Amino acid sequence: MWVIVEEVRKSIRILLAYPAEVIFWVFSPLLWVIPLVFQGKALVGAFSSTQFGNLAGTDDFIPYVLIGAIISTYMFSAVWSMGNSFRDETYYGTLEHILSSPARPAYILIGKGLYNSILSTSFVIVQLLICVFIFGLEITLIKILPIFMFLLLLIVGLYGIGFMAAALTLLVKEAHGLLHMFEYILFLFSPIRYPVEVNPITKTISVFIPLTYALIALRGLLLNIEFNFLKNSVILFGIDCVLIPLGLIVFHYVEKRTKTRGTLSDY
Amino acid sequence: MVGSGEIVVDGIHKVFKKGKPDEVRAVDGISFTINKGELFGLLGPNGAGKTTLIKCISTLLIPDSGSVKVGGYDIYREPLDVRRHIGVLTGGERSLYWKLNPVENLRYFAALYGVPRKITKERIEYLLDLMGLTDKTRVRVEKLSSGMKQKLSLARVLIHDPPILLVDEPTLGLDPYFARFIRDFVKNELNRKLNKTILLTTHYMDEADDLCERIAFMNRGKIEALDTPERLKQSMPQKQVLEIKCQGTLEREMFSSIEGAASINISHGDGFAYLRLNTDNPEIILGNIIELVRENAKIYSVRVTVPTLEDVFVHLTGASLKDG
Repeated sequence: MWVIVEEVRKSIRILLAYPAEVIFWVFSPLLWVIPLVFQGKALVGAFSSTQFGNLAGTDDFIPYVLIGAIISTYMFSAVWSMGNSFRDETYYGTLEHILSSPARPAYILIGKGLYNSILSTSFVIVQLLICVFIFGLEITLIKILPIFMFLLLLIVGLYGIGFMAAALTLLVKEAHGLLHMFEYILFLFSPIRYPVEVNPITKTISVFIPLTYALIALRGLLLNIEFNFLKNSVILFGIDCVLIPLGLIVFHYVEKRTKTRGTLSDY
Repeated sequence: MVGSGEIVVDGIHKVFKKGKPDEVRAVDGISFTINKGELFGLLGPNGAGKTTLIKCISTLLIPDSGSVKVGGYDIYREPLDVRRHIGVLTGGERSLYWKLNPVENLRYFAALYGVPRKITKERIEYLLDLMGLTDKTRVRVEKLSSGMKQKLSLARVLIHDPPILLVDEPTLGLDPYFARFIRDFVKNELNRKLNKTILLTTHYMDEADDLCERIAFMNRGKIEALDTPERLKQSMPQKQVLEIKCQGTLEREMFSSIEGAASINISHGDGFAYLRLNTDNPEIILGNIIELVRENAKIYSVRVTVPTLEDVFVHLTGASLKDG
């Protein structure tokens, strides 16, 4: 467990050594949100639309999109950070020293994922404050616990995907393009920015994407849209049970393959 | 079977790009045993397969065949136990986090090696004191000199107090002062005082000769000879070496017709070319050699000396330690 704590601590220390990165993390939530607001207003002419409500279950376009943006922040930061983490270690020249230690790579990756979840959470808190104070989103204390439960169910599953993303980077070294493609596919087929009901194909495919269930649940809780609490939590839990062992198996397989081929520290 | 020892390498092979035209037999059927508390050297030019072998022993690379036991643990079946018992030091500077200070670096690696939290602090203080880095504890690694970085890398390797050390080209790129410190530390502190078993790879002949109890000559993935430095030098059929220091262009082929000269080695350093010929009769061949050298170079000194490990290596392999 100490490995995980020290991994988080190390990553934060390295981040703090780059002041420009810290400035990014302080201001970017705000800069990220404002264009979405203007985009919504330009398209719909207001912050709400009956046409939109028929598909999404809520007339309020802006909070709908902002919640999608918030959840996808977790999704992409987990996949990106865990995916690129070992590439960063190769750049530092420390990868082989980490992997020749008795610490299990999964713990190191969880530490890297946790560090990123902490950053994402600070990002998301700023975004939520914008939602609450500017767009009147209501978050009552009674909603906090289920919100955290769904976020936790989402994050655990994301770590499984993160293990696979890390494996992919070990294998192909430069995985930026593939991770971007993964990101765009999710934007297309899950209800991050728009209700997938707008098109029968996106609606069908969205059923197979875990992010969909987290988005339905969290929007349901935050925007008072009716949803099946039990069904969505059971599906997310089931997905976690598959993704975590699958991610570990894939990572273990790829680590062994790179050690056999001698490409572990290739950049 | 090779027998029992702290590190037992038995017939390992590692081939890269197998079956392709540019196939590389990096390690080609190597066997040796290193005893507990021994300082054992692998000497060979760049590309001989030394680092590949170290990576196999440290579980970073999976051999194609053969077996390796480290501290009694099998690298295939018990890799985590192997890693707990070894420390791996490599040459070059990139084995630390440059944006962290020495304490932060050591604390992180202590966690990786499962050093209990309550003893980590005193272990870090002890190691930084041992390395003479106590006044640099809060300085980022990027601000330290190359020698200080290597000292800190040594502290990193020792953080979990491993009984076995794999030391790969430890003085690479260091200035003479720090290179001397690292050599003295490896021999006197780690090997003699703390009784660590050490496998050291180097392509510096003096380093191997000065530090190691036994040396294996490695070339093209194979071990060409293995013995104590003295016995290796005594194994030379010719007991003398004629050395000529000059400036100019020398080719080995120029001297191939000289009778009475065995292996010929030409090396370069400090702006000079050094010609070394193994012979039993330097006084007989001297005249012819000087004549040949004068055709292409200006001679600065001529001396007769005894064979070095480099001469033995050239004699056995036909290659120079500076090749590669």
